[in-house]
Amino acid sequence: MSSSIVQCQQLNHVYDGKVALNDVNFELQAGEPIGLVGPNGAGKTTLLSILSGFLHPTSGTVRLFGHSPGAAQLNGKVSALPQDARLDPSFTLKEQLVFYARLQGYPKPQAIMEASRVLEAVALPEAADEKPGVLSHGMAKRAAIAQALIGKPTLVLLDEPTAGLDPVNVRTIRSIIAEQTSATTFIISSHDLPELDRLCRRILLLENGRLQTETIHVNEQQSDTRFITLQMESCPAPEVIAKLEALDGVLQVSNPQKNEFVVAYNAELQPTIDLQLLQCLQTNHWQYRQLSHGKTLEEKLFFSE
Amino acid sequence: MPITVNASLLIKDNIMQPGFFNHLLLICQFELNRRFATRKGLLSLVTFAVLWYFILLYPLRFAAALVVQEQGLNHHLSIFDFIGLGSSQHWSIPEFDVFWQLALIIFPMLSITLAADQTCSDRERGTLRFIVLRSSRDRVFFGRFTGVMLLQALLISAAAISTMALALSRDASLVTAVLPDLFALIVNLVLIVLPFTSMMAALSAQVKSARQATLWAILIWTFMAGIITGLAYYMPGLDCLKLLIPGYQLVEVAQLSGWQTLQLAYIPLLQCSVLLALGRWIMARQTL
Repeated sequence: MSSSIVQCQQLNHVYDGKVALNDVNFELQAGEPIGLVGPNGAGKTTLLSILSGFLHPTSGTVRLFGHSPGAAQLNGKVSALPQDARLDPSFTLKEQLVFYARLQGYPKPQAIMEASRVLEAVALPEAADEKPGVLSHGMAKRAAIAQALIGKPTLVLLDEPTAGLDPVNVRTIRSIIAEQTSATTFIISSHDLPELDRLCRRILLLENGRLQTETIHVNEQQSDTRFITLQMESCPAPEVIAKLEALDGVLQVSNPQKNEFVVAYNAELQPTIDLQLLQCLQTNHWQYRQLSHGKTLEEKLFFSE
Repeated sequence: MPITVNASLLIKDNIMQPGFFNHLLLICQFELNRRFATRKGLLSLVTFAVLWYFILLYPLRFAAALVVQEQGLNHHLSIFDFIGLGSSQHWSIPEFDVFWQLALIIFPMLSITLAADQTCSDRERGTLRFIVLRSSRDRVFFGRFTGVMLLQALLISAAAISTMALALSRDASLVTAVLPDLFALIVNLVLIVLPFTSMMAALSAQVKSARQATLWAILIWTFMAGIITGLAYYMPGLDCLKLLIPGYQLVEVAQLSGWQTLQLAYIPLLQCSVLLALGRWIMARQTL
């Protein structure tokens, strides 16, 4: 049975006359991570700030597990990684995490254990006695994620968790999130679409403060028309398009960017199109980099007809 | 067969939602740790201790000696009469007379700097967001306020006790006479800094830094005192507005001694209530 964890109705927010959120309505159930995407200024951080209780909406209602954001009943149930928020430079990571755990109701000995557990979860046990000032950007981000994991919350809101991080740290954060998804629902705001593509099964798209009416399911496979995305080494695009379109079952081939092709095909007519594609590439001596089922998230969100 | 227990599940079972006072205590305790267990906090305490040592050793000791001499000569005019803070009634020992007059100036000023950063830098850094995810804004606001008040109470007590020690070093037989006055001094000074601390709590909830809070406190206090005094001069009916100025009662309180000083305690309590209500209102509406 799926239960609604977030409900937003007619949510509006205006900053100094500028509309940040415009009549946003949605309802989310617990489960796989949910991505929140949109261009800069689309209202992603505003929405997450309202859900976290850091900001009061101009109008509309928000309910998390049936309570208003910031309600005492949500203590320990909802957590967040606010964008650009930093830990107190005067205290060590452990001191701060123990303090937060105690605010969540842990007695002191258990709070110390919980602080160690979350530091382990973000691969920072050796930094427990360090102050935030000596941590690298990636470590500071992981430390901030650690505070969001205290008490195994049911819902965690992550605002740009991988912004400005190197690939190694991005991968670490991705695995941290992936490891927690069995017990926790994550809402992740990010510009990193390949990252969201890997993590999220559902996506909310915000544009100019408006939420797109439908939630996009990343691996939607219900329609007869399906897609394959083909990334090639350097190749003659018109020739590739012509050859691929000539294959049985192929409906259309587009070339959204250099050396990338999206093949639309009828799955009922031609279920093994990938084999045909590979054969065609081999016959023509074209090298490919990657072949994946479905469109990229970027393609789905911003370039779909 | 060994039984394995998931430690995190055990932890989860043991947790209980903490109440208002529990959070208040935790936040207050964390605030005291900031002042007593961090390098920055300790540095400011050491600075205060050094400054107070010199105040105790020179102005306070010499002024007290002067008052003792004046009492011997039966003079009724002291240096504090010249600056308008001479008391018509005396404390049990001259050291407390001098301490009282100095403390009425020093501790409100100290309060404006010491209590300036109750929430502002944490809000600007984003740290406050981590806290309000687990506690209400009210709890944070009142917890920080209580922490700073406790710190000031400790500093006031330490300063008063050191003054008592100075007096006892002159005459150890005074010990029984000075204790009731020591408590009266501490209680009064804590009451006196209440409105200043709550004014800083309200300002800290609004501005971006401790420096801004201090500057605004000085500006608001000066203009409010000037405007209300000016208005009351032309319209005596508005004289009651002076009750809104933190420290308004200080000149009158300076004339009193012992537990009589509590006659005017309602003024700081009233001011504190109004300012805390204002601060709470700001905090509740503030974007974190």
